[in-house]
Amino acid sequence: MTFARKYITFIDGMNRLIGRTVMYGIFVMMGILLWSSISKTFFLPSLWTLEMAQFAMVAYYILGGPYSIQMGSNVRMDLLYGEWSLKRQAWTDAITVFFLITYLCVLLYGGYDSLSYSLQYGERSPTAWRPYLWPIKSIMCLGIFLMLLQAISEFLKDILRLRGEDIAKETI
Amino acid sequence: QSTIKWRMQTYAGAALAEHVIDPAINMFNKIAGDRMQIELFYADQLVPTGELFRAMQRGTIDAVQSDDDSMASPTEVTVFGGYFPFASRYSLDVPVLFNQYGLNEIWDEEYSKVGVKHISAGSWDPCHFATKDPIRSLEDLKGKRVFTFPTAGRFLSQFGVVPVSLPWEDIEVAMQTGELDGIAWSGITEDYTVGWADVTNYFLTNNISGAWAGSFFANQDRWNELPEDLQALFRVCCDQSHYYRQWWYWGGEASLRVNGPKMELTTIPDAEWATVEDAAVKFWDEIAAESETKAKVVKIIKQYNADMVKAGRPYRYG
Amino acid sequence: MSYELIAILMFSTMMLMLLTGQRVFGAIGFVAVMASLLLWGDRGGYDLGFSAAMKLMKWYPLLTLPMFIFMGYVLSESKIADDLYKMFHVWMGGLNGGLAIGTIGLMVLISAMNGLSVAGMAIGSTIALPELLKRGYDKKMVTGVIQAGSSLGILVPPSVVLVLYAMIARQPVGQLWLAGVVPGLMMAGMFILYIVVRCKMNPALGPALSPEERNVPREEKMRLLRAGLLPLGIFAAMMVPFVNGWTSLVESSAIGALTAFAAAILKGRMTREVFENSVRNTLGISCMFMWIILAALAFGAVFDGLGAVKAIESVFTEKLGLSPWMILILMQLSFILMGTFLDDTAMLVIVAPLYVPLVGELGFDLIWYGVLYTITTQIAYMTPPFGYNLFLMRAMAPPEVTLRDIYGSILPFVLVMTLALATIMIFPQIALWLPEYVYNK
Ligand code: NA
Ligand code: NA
Repeated sequence: MTFARKYITFIDGMNRLIGRTVMYGIFVMMGILLWSSISKTFFLPSLWTLEMAQFAMVAYYILGGPYSIQMGSNVRMDLLYGEWSLKRQAWTDAITVFFLITYLCVLLYGGYDSLSYSLQYGERSPTAWRPYLWPIKSIMCLGIFLMLLQAISEFLKDILRLRGEDIAKETI
Repeated sequence: QSTIKWRMQTYAGAALAEHVIDPAINMFNKIAGDRMQIELFYADQLVPTGELFRAMQRGTIDAVQSDDDSMASPTEVTVFGGYFPFASRYSLDVPVLFNQYGLNEIWDEEYSKVGVKHISAGSWDPCHFATKDPIRSLEDLKGKRVFTFPTAGRFLSQFGVVPVSLPWEDIEVAMQTGELDGIAWSGITEDYTVGWADVTNYFLTNNISGAWAGSFFANQDRWNELPEDLQALFRVCCDQSHYYRQWWYWGGEASLRVNGPKMELTTIPDAEWATVEDAAVKFWDEIAAESETKAKVVKIIKQYNADMVKAGRPYRYG
Repeated sequence: MSYELIAILMFSTMMLMLLTGQRVFGAIGFVAVMASLLLWGDRGGYDLGFSAAMKLMKWYPLLTLPMFIFMGYVLSESKIADDLYKMFHVWMGGLNGGLAIGTIGLMVLISAMNGLSVAGMAIGSTIALPELLKRGYDKKMVTGVIQAGSSLGILVPPSVVLVLYAMIARQPVGQLWLAGVVPGLMMAGMFILYIVVRCKMNPALGPALSPEERNVPREEKMRLLRAGLLPLGIFAAMMVPFVNGWTSLVESSAIGALTAFAAAILKGRMTREVFENSVRNTLGISCMFMWIILAALAFGAVFDGLGAVKAIESVFTEKLGLSPWMILILMQLSFILMGTFLDDTAMLVIVAPLYVPLVGELGFDLIWYGVLYTITTQIAYMTPPFGYNLFLMRAMAPPEVTLRDIYGSILPFVLVMTLALATIMIFPQIALWLPEYVYNK
């Protein structure tokens, strides 16, 4: 169980740090879009702005995902769940989190497959700007992997809760 | 014996698919009956068009109708799919290039390398500009954000055009939300069929290519598993589809220029447009320098066009 | 197994998994990838989940989502709405029910500055609600006022829900937004009318402010009126370039977010804490939306692969033999039913793609339907026993407001909204007039 506690501390800390960094990505997106409207009004429109903003958005939500789980932003349907005792919630979560983990594993496998294709064929986006796609796909795979680590951390927290330890529920 | 089921995705949205693919697939399904059925999906429905090639290679999708360029095939011939600038003048040029000038063999070889069966190439419509504001000179092209094919976009950017790639189904909306100033993706038939004539005002009669080249592809293993007669039936239906488009576009382009109420026609004078044609020849050489295969294809295209000029009227005027 | 059966199985499994209380995106995503693995596992079924991520990346209007969410947080966290509230307080306080009317006015202005209903709810229940209760307003009426008023947030532009709807229905966002304006104002007018009538019949529901309290110097009154310029300014900075085609939708959303941010700085309200909360919560809520959309896109692709849309269509038109209007009304009712247990994003991304194409094929205008859709889902989230707005209200309201009060407050406003819905169904021009007027080329 000390391993579990160490794992939680490390993974949560790392994901928190990453999340708190990418949360400023909102200003990156704003900057790109603002440049897009400036360049369009005063010079020639830029080739790269919309696609770059899309890349920024993807990095923002995928890398920010684990931190959003820590904050408890990801809604649950609390029709029944909301009425249950903390213990019962922990029990159910400890089981159903494997659905989440399964989803993330399949997502990661698909991402890995897509990334290796990108690397093998030097895949570029079919646009005039033609950026290579492996960088954004790597970021996506990394983000999904971090999400997986976070889901495992959530599972361990529920196990510790069931053993009677007092671990705060995620809060925003 | 159970029915063979194929999933096929086209680059076209539902409105366009009604002409460019639906009739052929309906015919196939009717004839093949219990032996084989093809389920058709439209643009971006199962997978986004950018992932189409990969999905077919892995077998998530069994067959595809698209140009090589839009689905970003990882082959040496990809740039020539879609609208390779000024490679063809009439829609009959495409099948002649493939069947009589040796492009079929090159395509077959290139796609075999990446586990995909190239079934047959066919011709579509010419590539014109449909825009919000009129284009009467090359100067008017500057700064226009235009939805177009990747390779055509690369070529056009030297004239100040800003090429934009978006999901096909989003184009009409993107015109209205201000993401785009125009479309260089089709002839006037498609502009009307798809609804783009409703969101643009002007149609430029100069084109950067006389015919689009697109193909039918299949996952290599799925294709090999088909009995010979079904392979033959599939080919026949592809040919039927190519034939349908030959007259549908050829007649449609003329009829809508003459009778279409929604778009005003504009023209860049021939002398000025010659700048673009000359630039295309330079662009061909640029592409030819990229690889041996590309050089081979460019050589064929040059040879073909030279032959057409020599043949004179009605192949080429002037 | 027939495809119809698989589709039904997928839908019911998803419902069951949602009931376990696991995160919504996890439940939806799990069903999606399992179904695609079972159906097409040997032929690349595992990559449909990730394909959805690439599809999402290409959906450029989604860029507006974090922008509008940020805008909403800046407004509610920095309390620039306080002055607005004071303005209505001073100007409307003399009437019976005047503060409640003012609150609806406040909600309209807040709606014009953010794209979700949550910001209106937060501002309404933290600023307006305590004041209203202090002045002896009826608990039941005022909680209803705030819930109903906050629903204007997604009807009056900008609106995140209409952006998502636009992507599903492939309709222009600009026209949808403009289509929401008149219905939104009409609904606000109907709420006000209801308050006036109720307070006329029973002044104790909303007592007028005493003369001493109303005794504000004229200068001060005029100064407060200027507070109303701020939301109009933010609204104009975003909408004018957009409607004129100078900036695109996503660029406009960035301009809107920046304007709101700059306004908060200029008013001296952008403290460290406000900044931190806005930036952090924007990430949290954006991630929530995006991960649900990601999972739901995969779910939708599998559903599409099964031909579920065609199946539903044939059930409605061929098997049941219903007329287009009957089908439309049935759909609206099923939305209200599903709104009791699905959250709004999930509903948009899973249910709307099944229904919207059908609506189009029945020959209805999809811009008009977007407005109907928005109002219907808002009704769904307000109707007991379960609804997202109900729970949010309970979480945000002061302790003296019980769940029973909240339930009791809803009925008259739901009736008013239903009346508005019916009016727009009968007279589509209420929604369509403005977009046709502005975009007529
Ligand atoms: Na075309
Ligand atoms: Na709004």
